[in-house]
Amino acid sequence: MTATTTPPTTTPVVSTDSTPALGGGSRYPTARLTLGQMRRSTGRLAAAGIAILISTAFVTVTLLVGNIVTSTTYDQVSARYADADLVVSHSSWELTPEDAEAAGAVDGVAAVQAQQTYFTELSRGGKVVYQSIAAHPADERLSPLRLAEGDWPQGQTDIALPTDVAERLGLGVGDTVNANRWIVDPEPEVQEDGSTWYDNQEVTEKLTVTGLVEDPYQAYALTGGMAVVSAATLDQWVADDSGPDSSPTYDALLVALDDPAALEEARQALAEAVPSATDVLTTQEYAEQVVAEMSGGQNIVFLVFVLAFAGVALVVAGLVIANTFQVLVAQRSRMLALLRCIGADTGQLYRSVLLEAAILGLIASVAGVVLGALLVQAGLLVAPSFDLGVPLPGTISLNAAVVLVPLAVGVLVTLVAAVTPARAASRVAPLAALRPSDAPTLRGAGKVRAVLATLLTVGGVALLVGGMAMGRTGQADLGILAAVLGGSVSLVGVIVGAVFWLPRVAGAFGRLVGTSGPAARLAAANTQRNPRRTAATATALLIGVTLVSMMTTGAASARVTLDQELDAQYPVDLQVGTTSSDDEGNPSAMPGDVTDAVRGVGDLRAVAEVTTYVAETTDEEVVPVVAATPEALTSVLNTPEGAEGFGPGTLLVPAGVAKNYGLEGRDTITLSGPAGEVTLDVVPSDLRTHDAFLTPLDLAAITPAVAPNALWAGVADGADVAATVAALQDAVSATEEAVEISGAVVEREAYQQVIDVILGIVVGLLAVAVVIALIGVANTLSLSVIERTRENAMLRAIGLTTGQLRGTLAVEGMLIAGVGAVLGIVLGLVYGWAGATAALGNVGTVPFVVPWAEVGVMLAVALVAGLVASVVPARAAVRTRPVAALAAE
Amino acid sequence: MSTQTAPVVRARSLSKTYGRGEAVVRALDGVDVDFEQGRFTAIMGPSGSGKSTLMHLLAGLDSASGGQVFLGETEITGLGDKALTRLRRDRVGFVFQQFNLLPMFTAEQNITLPVELAGGKVDRAWLGTLVETLGLGGRLTHRPGELSGGQQQRVAIARALIAQPEVVFADEPTGNLDSRSGAEVLSFLRRSVRELGRTIIMVTHDPSAAAYADRVVLIADGKIAGDISDPTPESAMAGLDALRTLEPAVTTGRTGA
Repeated sequence: MTATTTPPTTTPVVSTDSTPALGGGSRYPTARLTLGQMRRSTGRLAAAGIAILISTAFVTVTLLVGNIVTSTTYDQVSARYADADLVVSHSSWELTPEDAEAAGAVDGVAAVQAQQTYFTELSRGGKVVYQSIAAHPADERLSPLRLAEGDWPQGQTDIALPTDVAERLGLGVGDTVNANRWIVDPEPEVQEDGSTWYDNQEVTEKLTVTGLVEDPYQAYALTGGMAVVSAATLDQWVADDSGPDSSPTYDALLVALDDPAALEEARQALAEAVPSATDVLTTQEYAEQVVAEMSGGQNIVFLVFVLAFAGVALVVAGLVIANTFQVLVAQRSRMLALLRCIGADTGQLYRSVLLEAAILGLIASVAGVVLGALLVQAGLLVAPSFDLGVPLPGTISLNAAVVLVPLAVGVLVTLVAAVTPARAASRVAPLAALRPSDAPTLRGAGKVRAVLATLLTVGGVALLVGGMAMGRTGQADLGILAAVLGGSVSLVGVIVGAVFWLPRVAGAFGRLVGTSGPAARLAAANTQRNPRRTAATATALLIGVTLVSMMTTGAASARVTLDQELDAQYPVDLQVGTTSSDDEGNPSAMPGDVTDAVRGVGDLRAVAEVTTYVAETTDEEVVPVVAATPEALTSVLNTPEGAEGFGPGTLLVPAGVAKNYGLEGRDTITLSGPAGEVTLDVVPSDLRTHDAFLTPLDLAAITPAVAPNALWAGVADGADVAATVAALQDAVSATEEAVEISGAVVEREAYQQVIDVILGIVVGLLAVAVVIALIGVANTLSLSVIERTRENAMLRAIGLTTGQLRGTLAVEGMLIAGVGAVLGIVLGLVYGWAGATAALGNVGTVPFVVPWAEVGVMLAVALVAGLVASVVPARAAVRTRPVAALAAE
Repeated sequence: MSTQTAPVVRARSLSKTYGRGEAVVRALDGVDVDFEQGRFTAIMGPSGSGKSTLMHLLAGLDSASGGQVFLGETEITGLGDKALTRLRRDRVGFVFQQFNLLPMFTAEQNITLPVELAGGKVDRAWLGTLVETLGLGGRLTHRPGELSGGQQQRVAIARALIAQPEVVFADEPTGNLDSRSGAEVLSFLRRSVRELGRTIIMVTHDPSAAAYADRVVLIADGKIAGDISDPTPESAMAGLDALRTLEPAVTTGRTGA
């Protein structure tokens, strides 16, 4: 303090208002001043604090969940090494069977098990499981799996299945299951140019289920469980699969010792016996190393992904805080001026606001960390009641990072948000104390801001459009990058420039609602009084809503595009074919009971009996054809327009088929077969099937009586695809005929589920930002009420009813929230569509899809929240007695 | 003024106390007073005399501790908040020391606000009369920020009169104005009474302002202390001085002007 006027360290606070000075601390006048002011503004600061609290709780939850994922991953990884004592590892998979033998020969080693997994397709009836399979180790200590029922596999055709897989396939001990695998020919084929290659063929073997295994430590919970065959069988399969020229290599050999205490000697001996090994580690060391490698990948991605949303929440919280402090400073301008008059320098006022922000940030962040930790702990407590298939810890484990990072971030965001208001505080002129301060107004927005906002918006939009163009021309990677960058930049531009245009939009909305009555007109006018505050409040909401709307629109656009693409790619949902052949090599006829079973499945839109056949043209080319009636084909295709023009005497030739079989540019094609020849008119089609189509009558002209040998089915719109497929599998397997089911519908359903799940998570994460923004709306309204005490009293005095006063605030809250939401939705629609175009432009035309249901929900939530946000401030406002209008200052 | 008309506002044994026990403050102590229709009455007294409290009670802005207030035939002491709000909206007008105009509305919007709050239709002819009488032509589209203090107060007077209330209360209407604007506003108030037949009750501590009224009611220490008809600045001043001599250093009241 520059001690030129009044004695600086006496009680400036007491001399300007009635707040008692805090005892003692005359050495820190700024701190004392700050604390005094904070006590006067507790309610207002609390509202801002909640914004920070939620954000830091978000960050804390993210970090804690990240830790739990890491520790769970560690538990699962280490469970895979069971009770092995040592792991001989190689970082680039170069350990050989010889190394395994050498390791096994080391003194004190009880057993060695190479880490090797084989994958095969197991099927029974129409049900198929893609299964990972490991060898049964020589020593039980080397496997985490335990036998639940039956025996371990011994012979060449024995297998032990995980209990849940057996259940899914409807198998018990002693049953047989089909396994498909590939065998490479032992002799190479020699090409004309001298190069050699190995042909291979797929074989189906019947395996006997000797036992069922369980996985008590959930080591393979995330990879679909592990089946077990004997070590010799696995070696044979691997050798068959890789051919005679290559031998298997491993990344790790698990070692069990005779005497686990003799660890160090064994480690030495193993390192010498397997010189090529990168490391000989204890199981724990090895698991840590593996997890560390994984964390370098997916865990970090997960953390960055979720923290990005926490970042959005923090930005929104920052806006809410900046807003609150600006109003606080404006309200205190008279007192700040008085302080200047009695000798406070600008630095002291500046520091006092920043100190206030720091204290607020710290208190709110501590509360946020506590809340976040409690939330995760609560989650862990209820998690066991859901069957997640993953063992979770019972309690959270806090470490320095989990506590300190959110604290630091929370305090920092609060401080940064308070810098501008603090500067405004330091700029209050001493003379302001002597002027009547009726409506404290902040400086208007400057030209620099206008130019910056315009540049950012225009530049961002240009980048965005460029990204869309790149996406359409097939450069999806670059396109997405440009679109994301352009979108972000333009959004920042929109936010920076919001103060210029947002109040005007609010005004336009206000004029609309203003026609409904005087309370609404008052509310509309009130939103125009402090454009900067209205803009900041609505912007906070706009950010969250824009992102939510962007994600839902993007997902909707992507879904429509993918749907169209999947329809085109997979014109038929489900196909049932026979697995055996007749004497001529044609697929066997479809058994009648299978046809009846398939027709009996509910939720199928159509079932068509078709005949697949390989026809020859007169110039000795082959063409795979499918015979179906036009009606049946049209009913079952997802893109029926592709069958236009198809009828008797025509051959429907998809473009791909024409290209592959040299039929391009032909008007007619003559097919020949054992029964004769038929000349058909070519009808070109954009169907993406692998066969051409003709009618059964035309097929009968070239080949004697080929019965329908396949069924094509379409799943009804809106049906539960997984359940329909399961019902179909059950129906078909009940017939015990040798048929197989294939089709894109499951894959397509999987795509949609992925989109839906990701969308749900993202929207949930963004909802946090929306909640914070709504707190901001309530905060702004409360501040407005405090500012307008006299005015509201005057209105009450001249006849405004309490109901009208409540209505005014409700409309004001809904206007601010509604404008933020509507603008956010519009922006999000554009961004979402642009993003989907950039990402999927080369897949197909991305239509502009408005997800009306979601848009409606968002708008309703915003309006209701605006209404709710007005309740508490309104209660304070109606308590104001009309007589307050007559009080002088 | 010679013709006595029916009183539009009456107070009977009106009292108002703040606090309780030993700290009790009697802001008003058994006041009986009538205010006639079509007249301009000033309530005058020193700081803390209870003149503002009296006005608040007469206008139904505050609740009395005892006694009755009648507006016409309606007893307003004892009315609920809803009824009081309606009463203020339809039958009473206010002019404040701080003008209290809404900064975001134009002068015209400010003037017509009470009618709109009541959901009524603005009487354009009456509005025209008010605007002409108060000299506001050409200012109607201006916002309060673009008007001088005197102009703002004239807008506030027009707002108080737009609903043709039975009585207008003015609380130190010249307190925030320089003397020339103050004189102007007071002349307009007097014209409203003489030319438009309105009833105005004004609270002031300024004898020269009180001199514009038809009658001055003097109040001191919560009691009626005098009544001057057709006051001049000198007679009003003399009345005030007399109060000061009789009641030196009155400091107990909580209400101040």
